[in-house]
Amino acid sequence: MLRILLINDTAKKVGRLKTALNEAGFEVIDESGLTVDLPARVAAVRPDVILIDSESPGRDMMEQVCLLSRDQPHPIVMFTDEHDPGVMRQAIQSGVSAYIVEGIHAQRLQPILDVAMARFESDQALRAQLNARDQQLAERKRIELAKGLLMKMRQCNEEDAYTLMRRQAMSKQQKLIQVAEQIISMHEMLGN
Amino acid sequence: MTDHQATPRPDALAWAAGSDAPEKNVLDLGFMALADSAPLIVAATQGFAQPYGLTLNLRRQASWAGLRDKLLSGQLDAAQMLYGQIYGIHLGLGSPATAMAILMGLNQNGQSINLSSALRGAGVTTGEALRQRTHQSGARLTFAHTFPTGTHAMWLYYWLASQGIHPLRDVHSVVVPPAQMVAHLRAGRIDGFCAGDPWGAHAVDENLGFTIATSQSIWPDHPEKVLGVTREFVEECPNSARALTMALLEASRFIDESVENRRSTAQLLSAAEFVNAPVSTLEPRFLGHYQDGLGHAWLDAHPLRFFADGAVNMPYLSDGIWFLTQFRRWGFLRDDPQYHELASQVHQLELYREAASALGIAVPQPMRRSILEDGKVWDGSDPVAYAHSFALHALAERQSLAL
Repeated sequence: MLRILLINDTAKKVGRLKTALNEAGFEVIDESGLTVDLPARVAAVRPDVILIDSESPGRDMMEQVCLLSRDQPHPIVMFTDEHDPGVMRQAIQSGVSAYIVEGIHAQRLQPILDVAMARFESDQALRAQLNARDQQLAERKRIELAKGLLMKMRQCNEEDAYTLMRRQAMSKQQKLIQVAEQIISMHEMLGN
Repeated sequence: MTDHQATPRPDALAWAAGSDAPEKNVLDLGFMALADSAPLIVAATQGFAQPYGLTLNLRRQASWAGLRDKLLSGQLDAAQMLYGQIYGIHLGLGSPATAMAILMGLNQNGQSINLSSALRGAGVTTGEALRQRTHQSGARLTFAHTFPTGTHAMWLYYWLASQGIHPLRDVHSVVVPPAQMVAHLRAGRIDGFCAGDPWGAHAVDENLGFTIATSQSIWPDHPEKVLGVTREFVEECPNSARALTMALLEASRFIDESVENRRSTAQLLSAAEFVNAPVSTLEPRFLGHYQDGLGHAWLDAHPLRFFADGAVNMPYLSDGIWFLTQFRRWGFLRDDPQYHELASQVHQLELYREAASALGIAVPQPMRRSILEDGKVWDGSDPVAYAHSFALHALAERQSLAL
């Protein structure tokens, strides 16, 4: 059963989503959006999906969503009455997987949640690819920096420097990047 | 400092840039706890893949069947695999047929057939003594290999048959994961096994068994492990496949470059997360030092090797066809297949040629000539005649492969 953290970001309509979700058979934990510390609640409750019901999502709510997507990415669905495309764009940029304007029907909830979760997964996969690419580049730069330092220290050519670093790493059961970092730290410590 | 300085040759990087960039840049690589997983482990940990835009995640597998299942389900992108295993999967022997691809050879030599110290105690230390023992009445001996269509099954069958022992009638065979061979020998559940190093060396070092034949004594410089992927992977991610091949070629070249590199490779591999075996067992085999547990020690002329100027890595069609002839010989195939066509589908020669050429590595002819221990010549030219040329065989039978 899906565990849903429901944030009511509006004082007056409390309960409109909760009833529909309960009817559809979800486990719902609800919170008032006016007082919630979203990242802390997500860490404590560990929901599968976060639903935000908001008449018009405010700046504070968007900030909380941003923090959450950065540190603990989750599928987030926003139900709102806000038609303004600017607000919608801002919500998507903050990390909202689905933005639903008006009309909450119990029978529509499951497909909406399914789409939001699928969308979230594909975003995460893309993000993982991009992160891996950044990390590959960052590691290459550090390894090259260390190689350059070693070439100067040992008065050797590029290939010899790589071989020395790799032998050192392998005999200590480490990765090349670890040895590169050690060379860089040592160089910094010696004040060159 | 500029980016292109990191690589051996600037043109090698052309593949990683622009339209030749890997379609998938994080690859999960399956490997088994074996000495011949070295190219994968060295490539993944020693920065051989980053210049090609790849991150390699190493995933150790407990058994060859488990490795196959994860590769077919997509949990692994590529894996160290047994030559014959690729063909077994491709032909659907023992599991649903899935089109497979061989990207490159990973190593030659380095496997062995080992018998229990109980047999040694009973004076069974030669092929002839073993033949006599298997033809006596009484309980049949049980030998373990690692996968029904794998290389170890084929080395075991070939060697037993060359000693006049029918591997399917005179002895029992069971499948045991390589890293568990020594425990099975210790428990007395098996009388011998064929597996890759370091497990034969480990049995000798622990005084639980002795080596009666190395795989290179059966076939000097024989094909062994390959880099395997599904056909689907090569078709969807040809650039990733080429980049991976290049990274592993460079790692293989590095390992074989010097004694120091081989020594440090053995040290790396001995780690708990990789082969998890003592350096004292792994290192001698990386340096070609062998001892058989019968008082003989030697420097092997055909030790475990990973590169040999690319001679190891070429996915020779004749190597693949040899395994098909043995499947035919032992009845896994009821009829002779289209040997050459099958091998040409499975071996990705064009992709290998591109990868090797970009690194300045020689690409030999796709057929090679070998002489096996029994004096038979294998050059791939007449597989039908070869498959039918053995005194001991099961040509008329169809084996059921229990996996």
